[in-house]
Amino acid sequence: MPRTWQQSLGLGLALAAALALLFVFSYRAAHHLRLLHGDDEPIHGWMSVPFVAHTHHVPKEVLFDALGVDPRQRDHRPLRVIAREQKRPVETVIHDLQNAITKARGKAP
Amino acid sequence: MREELLAALSQYGSPALFVIVSAASAGLPLPVALMLIVTGSLIAQGVMDAWWAIGLGCAGSVVGDMIGYGIGRFGGARLVRRFSKAMGGTKRVDQAKKHVRNWGWAGVFFTRWLITPLGPWVNLASGITRYPWERFLLWDVLGECLSVALYVGLGWAFSDRVMSLEPIMGELTWAAVALVAVVLLGWRAISLWRPKRPAE
Repeated sequence: MPRTWQQSLGLGLALAAALALLFVFSYRAAHHLRLLHGDDEPIHGWMSVPFVAHTHHVPKEVLFDALGVDPRQRDHRPLRVIAREQKRPVETVIHDLQNAITKARGKAP
Repeated sequence: MREELLAALSQYGSPALFVIVSAASAGLPLPVALMLIVTGSLIAQGVMDAWWAIGLGCAGSVVGDMIGYGIGRFGGARLVRRFSKAMGGTKRVDQAKKHVRNWGWAGVFFTRWLITPLGPWVNLASGITRYPWERFLLWDVLGECLSVALYVGLGWAFSDRVMSLEPIMGELTWAAVALVAVVLLGWRAISLWRPKRPAE
């Protein structure tokens, strides 16, 4: 294969770009890794009450109670479904859960 | 879309996982890594059964990959014939096919779990170049099982941190793609820039 300066330049630029991308993605992964042990995970509308209880380390009964929902054995309805059934915005449901989590942690020994 | 898929996974479990990973493996841009990580968390919480989830996750991935392969094999071959001149002639196309036959297993296996963004393209390319389907299936099953076990295992281990885990996995996947590019380009650069030995 003939070695032309255009070929060498193109290959050099491509290699430099690949190295730069490798550095950027590795740096960003390391940055996210540092945040892994940070604050609580945000609560989303797709999450169920047991899921939020698990990720926030509080008993699920406390959260069901905060929403005025009868705690059933296998209630995995997303929060937005509960909000729809209670005819209120999902944001207020999430807010109630956040308050209940704060209270439950305050009571914990 | 992401919220709807996660809600479906949380509510319907393994059957929803099967549908989502099938569609993603066939080429639809769905957040399949996040789905598998959340599945791991749901297993840790006792919401999903580990064997059903892993089994249907693997099966869904393989079904989706075979759809991509089938599209390439039965639809793409006609396109290759039509555009073979533009692709450098039939000799060039045959060379590419030979290369895929020799190295296709690595492409299939590593794009299942390490450089996943290239997965759907490799499925198509394997079909177009008529990579033997039984060999494709073998490396596909091995790669997909490893991928599902890896992501579900991570979600299980960090079950209370799944949403924080997703961006890390995303960045690492692209870092792996960049690393592969660095290795391939570096290899090419070495062979291009190495001084030629004078003939004795």
